[in-house]
Amino acid sequence: MSESTSRRHVETGVLENRGFLNLRLDPHKEKAVKAAEQILGQAVPLVSNTYGSGEHRVYWLGPDEWLIETDAGDVVALENELAMALAGSSAAINDVSGGYVALRIVGADARTVLAKGCTLDLHPPEFRPGRCARTRLARTTILLAADGEPDSYTIIAARSFTDYLRRWLAHAAEK
Amino acid sequence: MLLIECPWCGPRAETEFSYGGEAGITRPRDPDALSDAEWADYLFCRSNPRGNHRELWNHAHGCRRWFGVERDTVTYRISRSFELYPAAVPETDAALQSGPDNSNGGD
Amino acid sequence: MQAAQANRLREGGRIDRSRPLKFSLNGKAYTGFAGDTLASALIANGVGLVERSFKLRRPRGIFGSGAEEPNVIVQVGEGAEAQPGLPATRVELRDGLIAHTARGWPSVRFDIGAINDLFGRILGAGFYYKTFMYPRSWWKYYESAIRRSTGFGRAPAASDPDAYEHRNAHCDVLVAGGGPAGLMAALVAAKSGARVILADDGTEFGGSLLACGEDVAGAPAADWIAGIVAELGEQPDCVLLPRGAVLGYHDHDFLTIAERCDSGEPVERGLHPPVRERLWRIRAKRVILAQGGFERPLAFCNNDRPGVMLASAVSTYIHRYAVLPGRRAVVFTNNDSAYRTALDLAVAGAAVAAIVDSRPGGGGELAIRARDLGIPVLQGRVVCDVTGRHRVKGVSVAEWSGDSWENISKTAHFDCDLLAVSGGWSPAVHLHSQAGGQLDWSEAQLCFLPSRARQCHDSAGAGNGKQSLGDCLIDGLRAGTEAVAKLGLTPIAIEAPDAGSAREAPIEALWRVPAEKEADRCLKQFIDFQNDTTVADIRLAVREGYRNVEHVKRYTALGFGTDQGKLGNINGMAVLADVLGKTIPEVGTTTFRPVYTPVRFGTVAGESVGALYDPVRQTALHEWHEAVGAPMEVVGQWHRPWYFPRDGEDLHTAVARECLAVRNSVGAMDASTLGKIDARGPDVVKFLERIYTHNVGRMKVGRCAYGIMLGEDGMVMDDGVMARLGENHFYLTTTTGGAAGVLNWLESWLQTEWPELEVYLTSLTEHFSTIALAGPNSRNLLEKLGCDIPLDRESFPFLTVRAANLAGMPVQLFRVSFSGELAFEINIGSHLALQMWRKVMDAGREFDIIAYGTETMHVLRAEKGFIIVGQETDGSVTPVDLGMNWLLSKEKDFLGKRSLARPDCLREDRKQLVGLLSSDQRTVLPEGTQLIEQTACGVLETRPVPMCGHVTSSYFSPSLGHPIALALVAGGRARKGDNVFAALPGREPLPVEVVSPAFYDPKGERQNV
Ligand SMILES: [Zn+2]
Repeated sequence: MSESTSRRHVETGVLENRGFLNLRLDPHKEKAVKAAEQILGQAVPLVSNTYGSGEHRVYWLGPDEWLIETDAGDVVALENELAMALAGSSAAINDVSGGYVALRIVGADARTVLAKGCTLDLHPPEFRPGRCARTRLARTTILLAADGEPDSYTIIAARSFTDYLRRWLAHAAEK
Repeated sequence: MLLIECPWCGPRAETEFSYGGEAGITRPRDPDALSDAEWADYLFCRSNPRGNHRELWNHAHGCRRWFGVERDTVTYRISRSFELYPAAVPETDAALQSGPDNSNGGD
Repeated sequence: MQAAQANRLREGGRIDRSRPLKFSLNGKAYTGFAGDTLASALIANGVGLVERSFKLRRPRGIFGSGAEEPNVIVQVGEGAEAQPGLPATRVELRDGLIAHTARGWPSVRFDIGAINDLFGRILGAGFYYKTFMYPRSWWKYYESAIRRSTGFGRAPAASDPDAYEHRNAHCDVLVAGGGPAGLMAALVAAKSGARVILADDGTEFGGSLLACGEDVAGAPAADWIAGIVAELGEQPDCVLLPRGAVLGYHDHDFLTIAERCDSGEPVERGLHPPVRERLWRIRAKRVILAQGGFERPLAFCNNDRPGVMLASAVSTYIHRYAVLPGRRAVVFTNNDSAYRTALDLAVAGAAVAAIVDSRPGGGGELAIRARDLGIPVLQGRVVCDVTGRHRVKGVSVAEWSGDSWENISKTAHFDCDLLAVSGGWSPAVHLHSQAGGQLDWSEAQLCFLPSRARQCHDSAGAGNGKQSLGDCLIDGLRAGTEAVAKLGLTPIAIEAPDAGSAREAPIEALWRVPAEKEADRCLKQFIDFQNDTTVADIRLAVREGYRNVEHVKRYTALGFGTDQGKLGNINGMAVLADVLGKTIPEVGTTTFRPVYTPVRFGTVAGESVGALYDPVRQTALHEWHEAVGAPMEVVGQWHRPWYFPRDGEDLHTAVARECLAVRNSVGAMDASTLGKIDARGPDVVKFLERIYTHNVGRMKVGRCAYGIMLGEDGMVMDDGVMARLGENHFYLTTTTGGAAGVLNWLESWLQTEWPELEVYLTSLTEHFSTIALAGPNSRNLLEKLGCDIPLDRESFPFLTVRAANLAGMPVQLFRVSFSGELAFEINIGSHLALQMWRKVMDAGREFDIIAYGTETMHVLRAEKGFIIVGQETDGSVTPVDLGMNWLLSKEKDFLGKRSLARPDCLREDRKQLVGLLSSDQRTVLPEGTQLIEQTACGVLETRPVPMCGHVTSSYFSPSLGHPIALALVAGGRARKGDNVFAALPGREPLPVEVVSPAFYDPKGERQNV
């Protein structure tokens, strides 16, 4: 993570070498879910706005949509394995590694900085580790996740907005 | 700014949603069988009630789901949000009142 | 010349006498103390007349002490930092503060506009609408003169150098107002475990407690406040926002607060200036409105003279700021509260010449105290006129029986330099009303009280009609406790502190004091000081037929301006009710709207200025485009390279070079902004058959097609190439602007109309970058790059797609063309795109490859007559209008198909897509040019001129050597060879020939090689 520090107690940086797969699957098809979980080696979260951690992070995006974050180098193999395992169960698996950039924002003021552009209630009981949400940050759409450690958040942003978002975060962190 | 309850994500700020107009407008099964007037009615005519309104919202910047909302067009109070499918849409008293037979026009 | 701060009391006040501050008003220097407002410092310096009124240019002085101040509206600071429209009562004094009044400049004493006062008759109600309308053609001169002489300040010419920000927050209980009731409510809520935000417009908490001499819990009020604030500060989830004005109560318990963050001290701005003002955007579960009340003035002749002041303001200046606004005072009231002011004045050393009480029965306990101090109390009397122009010199007092509007006669005259008035109190119900709450008229208290709430709010304290300090404390405790209980928390038990309360006599109505010359249309009995609205204006409005309070408001300007009727509204409604013979509740109130107090534009904008005004979306190749100096075209939020100038080329030269390079060899374009959607599932064919107009099911795997989507109204909504990657797997592209909207729209059909279809749509817009290679050498270039699939015409024909490995990287190769040339589109993961682009440019050197931008792309496609959705279409164009009948399947239904058979869509004279050639072979028609019919002799006889179409795209074609244009022309396809005329500004209409839109290679042979 390349770091930048600021006037506030917060550090932001880009997480390098992240790869992403988008998974679409009917959660009622238990066999397919099981098959996917077997390949992933971890559960596919069925509870709204949560993510599972293990070898990968599996974020709930919608009732039949997940984002799998993993090492960039593993994406192609994982995509192939999942495609094989899910063949015939009308799932959709897409490599979307080029479409996202993962940022991390850490520090005592991280929540304050985010609150400048995000309408979610980030108060710890509401948005605690293990929670994630697709939402708005400033004028972009992001996936926000509360990391395991306190005062640490992961922002997964659409690639084309990354430059804007980094500027915005730097600006917000200076105040 | 409204606070809209997404059936999957819970209450979120209006800025995460986009509006989809009146709910329950069903596309005719055989458009060619319709007269021009009937087709125009499907295309353009909406109930526009004063009071309870069943409408579509899309959690565009969230889970991307479309769902239904019952909103009072006078007070903007939202009485409930509901999944469109697969669960059947239960009719509430309020929803029944805003049916097509009820003249809910402005005063 | 008065001595410095001659009106400053020797002791007391919440000012810091060890910190003297220099400031200036209208260029004149003064001093005050830290803790002063501009208003209190001016009064301390004996500045009486400080401004001219808005319309009539009457001399005015400071009238209030808070947000209700109508008269002294100043511009603070100079240059880019100047902030106009601030009531002097809300301006915190700071060292070096420079203020100007809006109108009394350069001298309030000799304001030229004061002549308006003498002509008050023509500036009566509705003067904006009437006086200057005739002759009509002169209005433009009148208007600029009026605009110059009115207004509340001048907008700075330079942009605001300060920083602002927004902050979103959530809380269980938001308490608006930090006076006695608000403090109690916040305390009980916070200590019961609720997340609390307490906001108050003032620089410190305490509200009315800061302006009275009363004790709370046996100690001075200031000590009690400090204790409560300290206790709140210790609560883990309690946010305290002094200097926080609650601006608006919006839907679903969403409130905005403007927090003034800086103390006003000069700051080092540098690269990151500190935040000057912060807009809090708060979603609350419960809201307690405790914003106190506003004292009302009384309406009598010349009630606006400098030196007439609200009684509560006088008390505030004495207690909070230790300034004495006058040496010899008269107090005029219809209720008990002003007796406190008389006592305050007496204790502070002023002579109180008389208390004039309109009530025949006089006041309660406080009246006895006043008499004990030797203050003359006149019951059943009213002040009916004021003498003195630039400062009150005395008042005339008349007998008042309470029911007679006639034969009022002066009985006495009192010399004085201060007249403290009180017409009773109105709870600040603004936020309650903004939230949709109801108001009930209280005949006992003569005010509107908040009643039924529409959202999750409650009112407390003076804002809820409570009058004594003790009652306010108890009511705040009640509201806080109830809010906590409604949240499902257990309220802790707290006792309200002891506070004094005096037995009061009830208020009696006195909405207007009769005048000696009742019939005078120019009676200067002011209702709304800021807008110079008088009793006579309201009567005039009624005489001219206005009945509804909202209409009277707009006709008389009652309640306009910075104070938004905080001072005058209730009195105005009461006068209106009297004239109409109605009751006040029958007349009703005007609508309360956000914002509660004026707010800076910077605060509203927050961070979204300059580089952060709107997101800039960059493609994965942006770095390369920037490095070669390509000017950018903004398309939606995308920044796309417009053209790639070489050696100082202008747009025209660069585009001509780029176009010819593509036609003759090869060019590369960044087409990454196109929307891309992965569509798959067992029912995907069924779904796409309904969406697209062509026969999707007939497409073989590996085939591409140009597809259009229609709205149900039959109008073209979006277009793009779509490809069949597998039996149940498609790849759809959309326009750049349509990407997000089309995906949501497709989902809406899947989710709301056809949930039985098993189809998954995934956006790949961001994942894939697209490099378009166009030109006769594009195939050679691919071969040179190293491609693992055969590229010849038979193996890889036009309109097919192949997965391939190109230059060592995995790609999807599309053989499609938007230029009419042999062309390919490389789709590649965005993380690899820049690497691929560099390889393309390197390998292309052999073919003199050029990069081309959006402008060349437009010219190339226009030469071919290819449309751009949003340029050739505008939501009213069908595929038939565009000549795309070949795309419309007859064998199936699709969205919008039925609409194409509606009578309007079958009209033969619909506007249809055609090409246009300028008759002079030179003129590039401006896009949007209207096309008109013209008679043979060139004289247009019909007015307005009948228009038969408009130009949608227009360029100079480097390949053809002449201008070309696309246009929509009524019945155009049947008119090929006709001339129509282009209406050009400042020129004779130019004849243009209607031709086929396919200007270049009309048979399409070049793309098929
Ligand atoms: Zn949702």
